[in-house]
This record gives sequence, C-alpha cells and structure tokens, in this order.
Amino acid sequence: MSKKIFSIMVMALLTTLFIISTASAESLKIGSMSPLTGPYASDGTDIKNGVLTAIEVFEKQEGGIPGYDKIELFPQDDVCDPRNAVAAANKLINLKVVGVIGAYCSSCTIPASETLDEAKIVMITPASTNEQVTDRGLPYMFRMCGRDDDQAPAAAKFMKESLNAKTIFIIDDKTTYSQGLADGVSKNCKALGMNVVTHDHVNQGDKDFSAVLTKVKGANPDILYMSLQGYSPAALMSIQAKRMGIKAQIVTQDAVFQPKYMEVAKEAAEGVYLTYGFTDPTTPEYKAFQQIYEPKYGKIAAYATYAYDSTIALLKAIKAAGSTDPDKIKAELMKLEFNGASKHIKFKENGDSGSSYIAFKVVKGEFVPYWEPTNGLIK
Amino acid sequence: MDSFIQQLINGITLGGIYALIALGYTMVYGVIQLINFAHGEFFAAGGYVGVIFLSFFTGLGYMETHPILCLTASFALAMMYCAYLAIGVEKIAYKPLRKEARLAALLSALGVSIFLSNGLMLTQGVYDKAYPSELFQGGFSFGIITIGYLQVLIVCLTGALLVALNLLVFKTKIGMAMRATAQDKTMSALVAIGSNKIISLTFGIGAGLAAAAGIMVGLYYGSVRYDMGFLPGIKAFSAAVLGGIGNITGAMLGGLIIGMVEIFGAGYISGEYKDVFAFIILIGVLYFKPTGIMGENIDDTRV
Amino acid sequence: MIQEFKKIWKQYAITMLWLLGLLWPLLGIHPDGTLSFKQTVNVWSYIFAGTFICFIFYIINKSGNFEFFTKPVVNTSQKLGDIVQAMPSWIWKSALLIGAIIYPILTGRYPTDVVINVLLYICLGLGLYVVVGLAGMLDLGHIAFYGVGAYTYAILNVQYGIGFWVCFPLAGLTACIAGCIVGYPTLRMRGDYLAIVTLGFGEIVRIILNNWMSLTNGPNGILGVKTIGILRPVMENGLTFEIFWVKKLEYFYYFALALAILTIIAVTRINFSRIGRALEAIREDETAAELMGVNTFYYKLLAYAMGAVFAGFAGALFAARMKFVSPESFTFLESVMVLSMVVLGGMSSIPGIILGVIALIVLPEVFRELESYRMLVFGLTMIIMMLFRPSGLIAAKRKKMMETKS
Repeated sequence: MSKKIFSIMVMALLTTLFIISTASAESLKIGSMSPLTGPYASDGTDIKNGVLTAIEVFEKQEGGIPGYDKIELFPQDDVCDPRNAVAAANKLINLKVVGVIGAYCSSCTIPASETLDEAKIVMITPASTNEQVTDRGLPYMFRMCGRDDDQAPAAAKFMKESLNAKTIFIIDDKTTYSQGLADGVSKNCKALGMNVVTHDHVNQGDKDFSAVLTKVKGANPDILYMSLQGYSPAALMSIQAKRMGIKAQIVTQDAVFQPKYMEVAKEAAEGVYLTYGFTDPTTPEYKAFQQIYEPKYGKIAAYATYAYDSTIALLKAIKAAGSTDPDKIKAELMKLEFNGASKHIKFKENGDSGSSYIAFKVVKGEFVPYWEPTNGLIK
Repeated sequence: MDSFIQQLINGITLGGIYALIALGYTMVYGVIQLINFAHGEFFAAGGYVGVIFLSFFTGLGYMETHPILCLTASFALAMMYCAYLAIGVEKIAYKPLRKEARLAALLSALGVSIFLSNGLMLTQGVYDKAYPSELFQGGFSFGIITIGYLQVLIVCLTGALLVALNLLVFKTKIGMAMRATAQDKTMSALVAIGSNKIISLTFGIGAGLAAAAGIMVGLYYGSVRYDMGFLPGIKAFSAAVLGGIGNITGAMLGGLIIGMVEIFGAGYISGEYKDVFAFIILIGVLYFKPTGIMGENIDDTRV
Repeated sequence: MIQEFKKIWKQYAITMLWLLGLLWPLLGIHPDGTLSFKQTVNVWSYIFAGTFICFIFYIINKSGNFEFFTKPVVNTSQKLGDIVQAMPSWIWKSALLIGAIIYPILTGRYPTDVVINVLLYICLGLGLYVVVGLAGMLDLGHIAFYGVGAYTYAILNVQYGIGFWVCFPLAGLTACIAGCIVGYPTLRMRGDYLAIVTLGFGEIVRIILNNWMSLTNGPNGILGVKTIGILRPVMENGLTFEIFWVKKLEYFYYFALALAILTIIAVTRINFSRIGRALEAIREDETAAELMGVNTFYYKLLAYAMGAVFAGFAGALFAARMKFVSPESFTFLESVMVLSMVVLGGMSSIPGIILGVIALIVLPEVFRELESYRMLVFGLTMIIMMLFRPSGLIAAKRKKMMETKS
C-alpha cells in the first residue's frame, strides 16, 4: 500500500516539475548559468550578482525594454558539471529565455552552448577563456572575457620585458582553463628565449603544495608562474611559498583577480603580479556598476565585472533589435559598440570581444595597474 | 639530499593532518561500523568555528595580551561545538537507522554531509575565511630546510592524541565500554552498558578530534573553506582503512603512509598522478593484507 | 492530540533548540568582538516556521484527521493496484510503454532532458544493483565504468571516425575489461575494504582521464563527438539508404528508452537465473555458497563484469548525447549518488531502483528554483527519506535480506 503512496508522490513531484517549468509571467526573461553550489560557488555567485546588478542598472539608466514590465533573471546552478549544465540549458530553453549569461567552467559552456544553439539562444560567457568556446563557430556564442591565447603572450612578454626573467617554473592545477593557459605561457616563454625549467601540475582541490614548492625551491627559478583556477588555491600557494622562503617572483593570472585573494594571503600576496584585462575604475560606467554592486555584495571581483558587461550588452542588443528574434539580437550584438565597466566592448566576427591584458601588482592589499604591453610601465 | 629531508618533513606534516582526521573516523567506525561521510564536514565546521572564535578574541583585543589562552579557548570551544553538532546529528540521522541495513545509514550520512557543507556555505559565505595569521608563523631553518612551528605542533598534537586515545580505549572503564559496545550492542546492554550513551560519547570524541584537526589545518594553511572537508574526508577514510579500520594506531600509520606517498609521489615522480600512487599503495597493501596493516581478521558475519 | 504525541513534540522541541544552539556561533559571533542574536533568531524563526507547518501536517496526518482525504486516495490507489494486479501483466506493461513513448510529445524539452538522465542512470543503477544488491559487494567506484564507456566511444569516434554502432559494443567490452581489472584484486576483500578499493579504482580512472593528454585530451575533454547515425531508407529513385543523424533530443530519448528497457529486461533475467541465485547465495553467506559448489571467484567477477557492461553502454550513449566528454562528469560524488539511488530504492527490486533513480535525479531539478539553497534542501530530503523509509522506497520482500549487514 505504502509502495503505491510513494509512487503517487513521485508522480506528484514530476507534475510539479512541469508546473514550475511552464509557469510564466509578463516579463523579459534572461538566464544565467554558473556554479552556485560546489567548489566554485564563490565565482559562480559573483557572476550571478554581476548579472543582477546589470539588470538593476539597465532598468534605472535606460528604463528597461519597451513592451515588457520588467526584466526577470533565472539563475541556474550548473555545479561546474557538464550534465547539470546541459540540464540547466534545457531548462532555460523551456523557460523561453531570450539570452543566457554563462557559464563559468569551459567544460560547462561548451556542451551547454551546443544545446542552446539548437534553440537559437544567444549565450555570452563572462568567464570561459578556453579557445574552443568561440572557435567552434557557433553563431550565437559570444565571449566577454579574454582568451587564453591572448593572455599567454601578454604574460610572457611581461615576464620577459618587465621582470627580465630568464628561468620560469610553471604550475597549473589541471583544469581546462589553468592548463590551457599554462601551456600557452610555456610556449610563448620558450619563443621569447626564456628557459621553462619545469611545467608541473597539482590537482584541483589540493591544499598542500609543499612537495611541488620544494621542487621550486631546489630549481630556484626567477619566476614562479601559478596558473590555478580561482583565488583560493592561489592564496594557499602564495602563503606556502612565502613560508618556504621561495625567492622566485610569483606571477599569476586573471582568475586570481578577486579582492579576497589579498584578504586570505595577506602579506604573502604583496608584490605578486597578475595579468588581467585592463579595467579603468574611474570611468562613469564602472562607477555606476560599483555604486550598486559594492553596498550589496562587497568588493568587486573579476567575473562580476564581465558578467555585468555581458548582461548590459545583451540587454542593449535586445532593446536595439526591438524583438526577441535571435538573429536580430545577434546582428545588433555585432553592431554594438559601447563603453562597458571593464572595457570598450565591440564583438568580433567569431564572437570574441578581445581584451587588452595588462599586468597588475598587489600593493598594500590592492591591485594596482603596473605594466602594459605597448608602453611598458604604468606610472 | 636537502630536498629529500624537506620532502620527508612535508610528508610527515601532511600525514599528520590525515592521521588527525582519520583518528576520529576510525573511532566512530570502530564502535558502530558506519562510514561516516559527514566526518569531513565536522572537520570543516571545526575549522570555521575556530576562526570565528579566534577573530572574535582578536576583535576583543585579548589576542594580543593572552595569545595562548585565546588559542586554547578556541580549540576547546570548537571541539565542544563539533561534539555538540555530531551528537545531535547522530541522534537525528543515524540512531533511528541503527537497526536497519548498514547502507541506509551510509545514505543518511551522505545527506548529512551535503547538508552540512551547504549549510556552512550559506551561513559563512562562499568565500574563503582567513585565519589570523600572526599565530605560530615562522620556524626553524637549517640551511635550506625549513620546519615551521606549526608543522612541529601538528605532529606533536597527533602523537599526543594517539597516546591519549589509546589510553582512553584500553585503560579506562569508558574505553572498555566502548570496546564492548563495538563487539556486541545487545550483550553490552545486558551487562549494564548504556550503548546509546557510549555511541554519543564516541561521536562527540570523534568530532572533537575532527575539530582540532580543522583548526590545525586552518592555522597551517591560513584559511578555511566550506568544501574543505570533502577531499580530506576521503583521504582520511582511505587512511583509516589502510591501517585497518577501527584500529587507532592503524589510522595514524595509514595517515602517515598516505601523506608520505603523496608528497614523495608529487616530489619525485609526477604531481598530477600523486593520488594514483596513494591509491595504488592502498590497493597493493589491501591485496596482500585484506584487512589493512593493523586490522584484525574480520569474521564472516561482519561482511 | 498533544498528549498523544508528547514524545514527538518533545523530540521536535529539543531538535529546534539544538539547531538554535548550532546556528548561533556561526551567525552571532562577529570578528569585531561583538555578539548579536538578531540574525540568528531571524534565520532560526524562518526554519522554525517552515518545519513547524510541516510538523503540524505530519501530526494531523498521523492522528488521522486527514483521513477524509487520504482514505479515498489510498482506497482508490489500492483498488487501482488490485485492478492492475488482476490484469495480465502485459496490459499495464504496454500501457507504461505507451506512456513512455508519447512522453516527449506531451512535454517539452527540459522534462525530456531530465528523463533522458533518468534513463541513463537507470542503466547505471541497475548495473550497480547486480554488484551491490545481488552480490552484496559495496562498490564506490561504479561511475568509472560509465566514464570508460563514454571515453571509448568519444576517442574511437573523434580520432578514428568509427561510428556509434561499432563503438557501442566496444564501449561495453572495454568497460567489461575494466570491470574485470577492478574485480580481480578485490575478490579477496570484503565489506568496507572492498568499498575503499573500488573508490580507489574510480579515482584512478578519473585521474588518468584527467591527465593522459595524448589519449583523452585531459581536462579539456573530447569535443565534437558525433551523435548516433542510423540508416534511413529513402524512396527517391529506388530504395537507397541515407545516414540520419539523431540530433533532436526527442529522438535521442527513444534510444535512451530502448537501452533502459533492454537493461531492465536483462537484469530481470539475471535476477531470476542461475547466476542471480548464485550471487544471492554469495551475498547471504559466501563460505556456505562455496561449500555448496558455487564458484564464488567466477561469479563475483561476473557480477563486476555485468555491472560494468551496462554502465559502459550507458556511457557510450551519454557521450553521443552530450557530444562532449570531460572528466568532470565522472567524479566520486557521482559514484556515491548512483550507490544512493540503489540504496534508496531498497537494494532489492528493480522497480525500487527505478524509483530511487527518479527521486535522486528529479529532486535536484525540482529544487533548481532554490538556487544556492538547492543542495542544502536536497541533502535534507535525503536524510528525511531515509528516516521515513529506512529500508528503501520499495522494501525487500524478504526481511532477512535487509537484516544481514551487506
């Protein structure tokens, strides 16, 4: 008997699922995809917060989109797992969203974009830097952040020209992002005549880097290049490197551009260099973002800014297109040219928006612009 | 050679941390034969409560005047908190399932684990929490070898707890009651041993040990994270099994072996395959000694 | 009513107080050296209000005040059950089948996608059922075989251009070989020692997938896996065949459905065959089974191999569906989830496991609306389900089986 009650309950669950998924309201719907639970929840939450801020700013500045009462966001959790990402994408398709901001992990963005492409939904990723995201030639795939193959040459050039490095020790943590970038840096450094002593790996989720850092100490390179996914392992590694007395200069990448890095690593973060797309914090666009974001969610992190810009770009394109037709939105996105919070935004033919990576230095717990590829040191 | 000694020190420290978590794991297992997936979360909770109290004391200004006292108080409070948490969890989620198949409790333990780590994430925020860093930084250095004070502290604490636990289990009345409960709950109840109380106590002690490990890890690595319990939980489980699950000295030994293998694997062979080496050693040992290094032979009914 | 449920009320009150004590240090102690109670009490009162309503419903239901509503429902469902039981089994089986076939037409994309996941996990869960439920061997690394199957298809397809129908049996074969490799050294071990070794193998497979760059492309995963192609007869200028690529989710659904049905039939057959009996004998008492002439070595290895084959098939289908594989899909947590499905289903019956799979796949999707609270509620639901149905959604018919510690 109770067996049957349970079957009924499961049936009821299924029906609620459909009811929820078919519920509708008179609003413009956009979706976001990012890990809201699991190990990357911090970056995923930054993305969601950035999108929410963008909607608020857009409604205030441009008065929303004609024909709709409000803009509604459906944030989806993908746990940085491809299966969940595809489920989230299908859910967003069912919700009939006009565009999607996401995802965080490249391994989620790639399968999710294939699914969204079938339903012709525009997707703008604020965080997936892997080349394959836009190189597959999907028509509705855009990218707000930079690419690994943009960042790697800038980083190599910086280490060569500004830091006069001769030997370099590379560590990555075996994710699509970190490994792709580390390979790129290794290649570029060799091309510039630097000696890549070792390219070693650690695993995702590791806390103890003493073994590899002992190797670094033995090799005594000029530079320790950390390519780690997220600020958290980077902070751990900086602390441990300092404790071991490693003399090598630490250089790292844009995933570490998160104020929490200094909060955790404290003095171990001082003097660390990292490459990140140039962002001018004095522009009115950035200030508008900052005014809404900071009181609500705390200090601005890397992906929040890109998520904000992605959303503004999407909403601007929808407004200009005057309809929710994906092809019109795509055409408008291509035409779009404006100053975002992070940079001047203009999408290229393949969906990339380009980036101008510069080097930052951590000085007294702040990221300070330090060097740029064309003119050298920034005063 | 220098780097070999340094790696050895690294290995002992990492092994010590694993052993510290594994001790609590194996205690709980020894008494109720439950693979407590939530143990890693007790460890994370201990780390969080430790940092909460430490920064609270720092905020009050006691940290500068009485650092040792504050640290001891934080340790004690975090251990008490985790014991409180674990006893409650045991009463709510495990006790009703004690008479059922063992896998039922395993599933419930998994639910508790997911619940607790997400609860920590929601109450403490998604970002890492930094430990006040002034404590015990620095260390001895000989040539290029450095030994941090914290590394010494971790190893000493693990050793001390090992001795204390062995004394508790083998020399006291409570320990005898624990062993009796582990062997046969019905029989021990017949000789007036309150098995519920003993199980609660064991959970409390196990979680207290996990909390101590959590604070040590927080101090050593400088920060805590809501998902920090998951991987060490698996490692500690492996360590406990490698040493012979239910055996306290075995857990310590298992922890040290796994820590060493990881460090030497990463240091001399390849960093990305270090977990593979640890698991291969584990499988190899269990292949030749199916009950772990120090495990006694299990009888058929316990399979 | 209060008297009647005094014990439960007391337990509930203690639990809520315990929770308050648990929350306060996390929310009420601040780094600036101040203490506060407001936030804690706020959060707690939300939880209290929520659980109190559920609790009241529970009490009312228990005391029988909902009988006017539940009784007819139970009665009708019982009657329905009787009718179903009275009918020959092919009627309701075909009704279920027709329901499954028209399902994607009736619903949208997202429900179809969720059900495809359910169908794939049914194959995984039933494969694990052979190992855990029948043979009584605790396996914490089952997802590795799924991964082996998925990667077999992805690698053969992308690097050598071999089509799905050739790769499909090969995926089963490689998974089977992997199962034997895992099975062989573990045969001497029992209980939790076996569990940790299977966990180890699962992790080893994942780490190898993540690191063997030349073969698996490491963490980047393998991109551009072709979907299933079938030959479709075309009637223009005589009878010719053209390859039809199964791109639409709805068509894909039928392949997953077919595989799930095949798995269900196969596992049912195993269940009632000599092999199934032998495995059950091994689970109940290995020594006795051996004495009775059951070749325990052979049958345990066979159980691993069979479990792995179903997982391998499901893996190949998964790769074809995602058109992309990466090691993130094959983590330890997934293994534990599959095991949870089997345990939740009751470990002993195929319908039970199917229900377990449905519950653990659909619930996280239902909770999607809760955003970051999603997994918290999911964990809580898992505990509650286990507390209310400690022996699984569909309990074993033979009570003894559940009593033996597996």
